[in-house]
Amino acid sequence: MMLPRRALAALAATLPLRPARSDMAGPARIVSVGGAVTETVFALGAGARVVATDSTSLFPAAARALPKVGYFRALAPEGLLSLGADLILLSSDAGPPQAIEVLRAAGAPLHVVPEAQDGPGIARRVRDVAAALGLDGAPLAGAVLDDWRALDAPVAALPPVRAIFVLSAARGAPLVAGGRTHADAMLRTAGAVNVVRGFDGYRPLSAEAAAALAPEAAVMMAHVIEEAGGPDALLRLPAFAVTPLARSRRVVGMDGSYLLGFGPRAAHARRDLARLLHPGATLPDLPARAWT
Amino acid sequence: MSASLAAPLPRERRALALLPLGLLVLAGAMLAGVLLGPARISAAGLFATLADALGLAPLPAEHARDAAVLGVVRAPRVLMAALIGAGLGAAGAAMQGLFRNPLADPGLIGVSAGAALAAVAAIVLGGSLFGAAAGLVGLWLLPLAAFAGGLLATLLMARLGTVGGVASVATLLLAGVAVNALAGALTGVLVFMADDRQVRDITFWTLGSLAGARWAQLPVVLALVGVPLLLLCALARPLNALLLGEAEAFHLGVRVEAVKRLAVVLAAVAVAAGVAFTGLIGFVGLVVPHLVRLGFGADHRLVLPGAALLGGALLVLADLAARSLAAPAELPVGVVTALLGAPFFLWLLRRRGAGA
Amino acid sequence: MIAAEGATFRAGRRALLADVSLALAPGEVVAVVGPNGAGKSTLLRLMAGEAAPAAGRVACEGRALAAWHPLALARRRAVVSQHVALAFPMRAADVAGLGRLPWHGTPEAARDAAAVERALAAAGVAHLAGRAYATLSGGERQRVQIARALAQLDGAPRPAALLLDEPTASLDARHAAALLALVRRLAAGGLAVMVVLHDLNEAAFVADRIAVLAEGRLVACDAPGRVLTAPVLEGVYGIGFRVEQGGILPRYAECC
Repeated sequence: MMLPRRALAALAATLPLRPARSDMAGPARIVSVGGAVTETVFALGAGARVVATDSTSLFPAAARALPKVGYFRALAPEGLLSLGADLILLSSDAGPPQAIEVLRAAGAPLHVVPEAQDGPGIARRVRDVAAALGLDGAPLAGAVLDDWRALDAPVAALPPVRAIFVLSAARGAPLVAGGRTHADAMLRTAGAVNVVRGFDGYRPLSAEAAAALAPEAAVMMAHVIEEAGGPDALLRLPAFAVTPLARSRRVVGMDGSYLLGFGPRAAHARRDLARLLHPGATLPDLPARAWT
Repeated sequence: MSASLAAPLPRERRALALLPLGLLVLAGAMLAGVLLGPARISAAGLFATLADALGLAPLPAEHARDAAVLGVVRAPRVLMAALIGAGLGAAGAAMQGLFRNPLADPGLIGVSAGAALAAVAAIVLGGSLFGAAAGLVGLWLLPLAAFAGGLLATLLMARLGTVGGVASVATLLLAGVAVNALAGALTGVLVFMADDRQVRDITFWTLGSLAGARWAQLPVVLALVGVPLLLLCALARPLNALLLGEAEAFHLGVRVEAVKRLAVVLAAVAVAAGVAFTGLIGFVGLVVPHLVRLGFGADHRLVLPGAALLGGALLVLADLAARSLAAPAELPVGVVTALLGAPFFLWLLRRRGAGA
Repeated sequence: MIAAEGATFRAGRRALLADVSLALAPGEVVAVVGPNGAGKSTLLRLMAGEAAPAAGRVACEGRALAAWHPLALARRRAVVSQHVALAFPMRAADVAGLGRLPWHGTPEAARDAAAVERALAAAGVAHLAGRAYATLSGGERQRVQIARALAQLDGAPRPAALLLDEPTASLDARHAAALLALVRRLAAGGLAVMVVLHDLNEAAFVADRIAVLAEGRLVACDAPGRVLTAPVLEGVYGIGFRVEQGGILPRYAECC
């Protein structure tokens, strides 16, 4: 018990070094854990300082090519420490909590980034990450928020579509999004109502329940549609054949991390999804952004 | 004739070497576990950390990271792996002896399935089931639940397996199968209720990991694994008598029912304590006792402490591999032990087939 | 030594053993014979203390077996079962060594090694000490088990009892004869011996007294010459017997 306490005291003595250095150049070796966190770091222009990411950091391509610290819910304390990072950015649901506790005890330079599911939240997260990086987050946060808000009124004017988000449909009953999921939040912000009520998270959906819910549109990750054999094969599944979907044939596919990440690209994803759900509607074009 | 007996037979000479050898292997494994890993430790960092730990010299700031890796991350982790591996090894040896079955492992007595059920409940239901208690116990919720679940499942099994005051091995085994099936079914219900992310958490938990090892947990593990371990070693003679059979053990003056019950409960406590902090780690309890028996014979006075020492060493090394092979990520340690254990198990089966 | 007085044992409502009285004495071999299902093994289990009688009593030195501390009883009587399969490979000497378990923690434990050595020699298997038990023949295993029982009784302060359950069951004539001769020697050495046997000629050879069981009752218990008569055997087994000077022969032809 002697060793860690002394080690900590020694480590604490080194801590003032960090903010002092960030004032000049910010942390030089960053580990970024969480897809949206990584996108934010790269959008802020700090991608070159990232030395490793987690397995959910899929965008941009440069982030995907970096060494991986594993799945963000199963982090390795020593692996993270071995990278010699001077900043470890963690998505708020990174884990397991016991491993985070070990990292904390070892004095690892952790920074937990807040969760976001709408424009203001994303802007807050951009500013938070920027501050941790020693950068000015206002331009990026402002741009994301502007883009997001430009969609608020046009989307509100759309007639809500009865939609369902399908996480996977390759085997057994399709896994659909209930409340408190990113998918649910994205459907709501893109002019749809999630017809799945009564549970949180992702659950299998029976054909009977699907018939009762009567969705008009299904939103999925593009690769899931492919794996299931395309929209036609999907609509033949019992759970969809009995719904209005079979007639409307509105199966919408988008890239998963783009659609559900709520990173800096979220406003553009919101616009794309709204367009796909409301084919006839006119929605404003958003300015092309460097980070999308 | 008497001369040949008075002189120790080769195996007896080897037996004398078991404990020192086991201690040496364990110490070597632990040393490797502390010194090696994905985070490189410089010699200067090591000596500075040692000097600091011994109170000889304050830790220079440039070695703070080395000291943190050695003292905060690795040392508790290696100690934890040694203790839990020792518990798994000794519990496996005791269960194999008790059930007179070389393929028995602690899973047979329901402890793993029960712990898994409770751990999954903690992951899925978390705060909602345990309410205010969850807030109070925080990081201890899952281990507490898993420990209690493992123990309860074993007690249930022992209860179901006892008919008219007699716990026959066959009935116990069947009761274990029933308890495992029941716990598996209830776990399935919880997995059904779980959302996608919880399912991934459950998956990782069932693969085992020592990544969460902290100093604060060690006294608990030391007590809950160490005490049953010593008591199991004290049961070595009755377990030896059981090698002949239950009736024969009774003829030798062993209180068979009491020994069975005690051994099952002690093994359950030792295993449940390990499972509680690391998740499920397979094959240590199955394979290690066999390794000891292959080299040193079936005498539980050797097999129990030998399996404890070797089990500790094996888990320390498996964890070192788990930390290092996929760095900076980490393999689940249960995957490593299974990768090592499964081929050995197959070899054992074939050897039995050929030898019998 | 060990004595049953009016012992009755039931499984459910059926009496496996009814009102059986039998006393073992030091230096004497009692053979228990009878048809299958007569209650021979049940009687052995009662005399060993494995099961308690529903009525009557089984006592050692006048004290009911259930009242004995298991270890104290184990130092006074040893049992050799018909077949002992080991859970894990062991050497013959280690198997015999298990007999010393009841002496753990007593001053006698200091002589464990010598006791095992004596027991192996007495059972005629000292040369097998280092062999793996699983590689021994049936007769050799029986002798190793007897050595284990002798090691168990070595150091007993008063006369001790040895109970054997069909020790010749899987042995050929030569090995059976050698084993029975060993049993006689052990009795001559002061042990009270009870041995369950199927073969009447073996019983005649080894026993001082023969106890004949039929349907749970003790039909006769006396010297071989008085018990092994055609009328007694025909009444018990329900087939004809020819009893001659040289031995006892069932009239096989009559059965077909």
